[in-house]
Amino acid sequence: MRWRKRFYRALLRCYPAEFRDEYAREMLQAYHDGWRAEPAPRLWIDLLADVFLTAPKEHLNVLLQDLRYTVRMMWKAPAFTAAVVLTVALGIGANTAIFSFVYAVMLRPLPFAEPQRLMQVNEKNDRLNLPNFSASVLNYLSWSEQTQSFDRLGAVSFSSFNLSGQGEPEQFTGNRISPSLMPLLGIQPVVGRAFLDGEDKPGSAPVAMVSEGLWRRRFGADPSLVGRNVTLNGVDCTVVGIAPAPLALLTGGDIWMPLTIDPGREMRLNHVISVFGRLKPGITLRQAQAEMDTIAARVGQQHPEVKDWGIRLLTMTDAFVSPQLRTGLLVLLGAVGCVLLIACANIANLLLARASARQREIAIRTAMGASRPRLLRQLLVESLTLSLVGGAAGMVGAVWAVRGINAVLPPNLLPIPDVSVDAVVLLFAFSITVLTGAVFGIAPAWHAAKADLNAMLKQAARSTGSSRPRLRNGLAAAELALATVLLVAAGLLVQTLFELQRVKLGFRPADLLTFQLSLPSGKYAGAKGPAFYQELLESLRTVPGIRAAGVSSGIPFGAGNYTTTPVTTVGKSVVPPDTAIPTDWRIVSPGFFRAMEVPLLRGRDFTDGDTRTAPPVISSVQATAQKFWGSDDPIGRVIKQLGPDGLSWTVVGVVGDVRSTALVRESPAMYLAMASRVWPVMDVVVRVDGGTESVLPAIRQRVRQLDPELPLATVRTMDQWVSNTAAQPRLNAILLAVFAGVALLIAAVGTYGVLAYSVSQRTREIGLRLALGATRRRVLRLVIREGMTMGVVGIGAGLISAVGVSQVLGSLVFGVPVRDPATFAAVAVVLTVVALAACAVPALRASRVDPMVSLREE
Amino acid sequence: MPTGRSLPLAIFHILVSLADQERHGYAIMQDVHARTDGQLRLGPGTLYGSIKRLLHDGLIEELDERPDPENDDVRRRYYRITPRGRKAAIEESSRLAKLLRQARASGLAPKTV
Repeated sequence: MRWRKRFYRALLRCYPAEFRDEYAREMLQAYHDGWRAEPAPRLWIDLLADVFLTAPKEHLNVLLQDLRYTVRMMWKAPAFTAAVVLTVALGIGANTAIFSFVYAVMLRPLPFAEPQRLMQVNEKNDRLNLPNFSASVLNYLSWSEQTQSFDRLGAVSFSSFNLSGQGEPEQFTGNRISPSLMPLLGIQPVVGRAFLDGEDKPGSAPVAMVSEGLWRRRFGADPSLVGRNVTLNGVDCTVVGIAPAPLALLTGGDIWMPLTIDPGREMRLNHVISVFGRLKPGITLRQAQAEMDTIAARVGQQHPEVKDWGIRLLTMTDAFVSPQLRTGLLVLLGAVGCVLLIACANIANLLLARASARQREIAIRTAMGASRPRLLRQLLVESLTLSLVGGAAGMVGAVWAVRGINAVLPPNLLPIPDVSVDAVVLLFAFSITVLTGAVFGIAPAWHAAKADLNAMLKQAARSTGSSRPRLRNGLAAAELALATVLLVAAGLLVQTLFELQRVKLGFRPADLLTFQLSLPSGKYAGAKGPAFYQELLESLRTVPGIRAAGVSSGIPFGAGNYTTTPVTTVGKSVVPPDTAIPTDWRIVSPGFFRAMEVPLLRGRDFTDGDTRTAPPVISSVQATAQKFWGSDDPIGRVIKQLGPDGLSWTVVGVVGDVRSTALVRESPAMYLAMASRVWPVMDVVVRVDGGTESVLPAIRQRVRQLDPELPLATVRTMDQWVSNTAAQPRLNAILLAVFAGVALLIAAVGTYGVLAYSVSQRTREIGLRLALGATRRRVLRLVIREGMTMGVVGIGAGLISAVGVSQVLGSLVFGVPVRDPATFAAVAVVLTVVALAACAVPALRASRVDPMVSLREE
Repeated sequence: MPTGRSLPLAIFHILVSLADQERHGYAIMQDVHARTDGQLRLGPGTLYGSIKRLLHDGLIEELDERPDPENDDVRRRYYRITPRGRKAAIEESSRLAKLLRQARASGLAPKTV
């Protein structure tokens, strides 16, 4: 039966080609004889088992043989092996490290139940150009009643707690959360229970949860903490549960209490909470957004004061990852991708050059019967082995690099704290390693395996064809192009870093010590708060070594707080009537500007006389004053909160502009006198004469004198705050500069390699030219022209690509245009010089060729 | 490959089969089948995989001439055991004999076959 035989013939294709060539005919014959002797179906079962048991074994044999051969080859060319392994290690290591961060921040699912159904519900105001704003409590209540798209909504409000009663008092940041929040997120307490519905009603018994970290650190993970009482802000609270880590991920902080809502005491325009919601199954973001738009419009009709406020839904990823961080990470990932591509091109070139050198060996193996697929396979095993060895080294390096980067990153720079090289990252690294090996191996292997046997044996070591030099030159040009793009990007970001350091802050950050105090509201009600700080400042100013001291609700770049409120002006103004400008408000004490060395430009500083009973006064920042009143004198003008019963203040002073929230932009800002009110957490700044460390014990002592239960929190120098602000741009710039440097190095080595190889191949031709009367200068020019043609094409292509790529950098670049001609020109010059240097060595070697020697080599 | 390690079963059978005469592949299969009373049927993959290994290790060799001209087929190749192969087979036999003696002493095998 012919079809049976044909089927067995097809089965034989499972075996390696070599084995098939050798034995397939006889195996078919044996099958044929066997079937003739005993045509039983059982024979087929045996045959199938035989094929599936022995074919993989034969493949493994071939693979082991290839591996043994590869190891011998690698051993025989240690310099080549080291160059390739090191290049791969650099490329894979950098990619793995950066991918760890991209994965942790952007790709890894958040530790909540079905995180894709979670949304942050923000407010927005197009008229005031506020695209993302916190929500007001009354609006939150209206939404909760009306929404059909969400299972439920939950709210978070930032807070701060003094824990006292056991040991040293300590201040913690924390949050007040609605009882619906934890079920909404789908997370359970580690021990105990979450807040119950009703525990947010005014007057209910005070309860609290503490973070797992705090529970372990301060309470030794004692489960009996649940049910015990602790004193928070002077109030006895029952600890009902230990909160799991994901809650801290969402809200930050170590202590939680229920968010008590008393609608009678809330203002609809008071934007103080963050709102989260879980979409009902099957509801899309678009559907939910449409419904919330309708609800916002309805609420606006009922309450005209919020008619300009809309709702903006954000996915949790968008809520967590700022666009700038996302761009920064993607740019870095793109950069390491480029480094890997350059590395691949370079190794491909090395392998091409080596394939030429190995032509004889390959020709002999072909002559001895190695088939083309067999050779291709052998060469691919070689390149994969090289890349796997390099990849393994790179992964080890990445583990170290991630640890290092984690150690130098300021806390809170990344929204996700634990970045590590985990299983997913390793899988990614392994995949790109295999891909790398295939990418850099395939072209050289193809070339080597398809080469014509006769031509190779005849020509021996002579260079073959013209396609390979073209491929090699093309690869080198591509390397230079990619290096150009990286260098332009690095140049822009490094300049950004310098520009950021040159930004005029508006105050002198050196010699400033800052810390936070949080006065329990029960103990320091009404005028007691301002009075405490007034007394503290007087006491601090008498400490030797302290030159000035002040208090603010939020120092620049600090951990304190400020509110953004739309305000308008009364009377003559350069802005159209009734136009509100969102303005940042901070409370400052008399002497704060002096301590910060912010210049007072007009009018007067606050005094202790600006109390809550005196006429309300404010100081304006110069730029904000100009926005309202142009060049007119702002002193005596009136600022008014929006709304029918909005408060109003009279401007008594104008101070210099201060960068407070971001180095790269200025926000309109006003200052309120502290004597009228204080906030739960206040920043204290102290300007010292000597070192900031030496006055700290005295400061602690003075605070303790006034209130022994009050802890000092967040003790930092102002320099540290400013430095933290620039941490992300600094990291971007440093990493990109390192990657660009590596890219430039690899590309330079690549260019050199291609040209050196080309010269060595053409020694005979060059000797002939010299013998026929060409001058050495001419030969020098010839080689340099060849190299620089490749160089100019690469650099030119790189500059053109950089114009496009630099657009992506827009949000990361500050102080320089993204198409800065100077940067582009400088990069072009640097790369041209590097390319010239890479050409010079082979060119000089070519010009020193002895025509007699090279011709005799024939 | 004369080492202390035991030979795989298929390999040992092939050596035994080639001990008294040269055979081609299919003849080896038949011989093994017959000698084991139909218990062991070497598949073509097992047979030629083993042959390849035996050739590589120098335990058998391929014949240049054809010993059985009237029953000949140009497609068949004949194999012969080498002195090295004979030595390996003897070592394996004595290893098995020793094992059998120990099994007898422990009462795990009949005293006579």
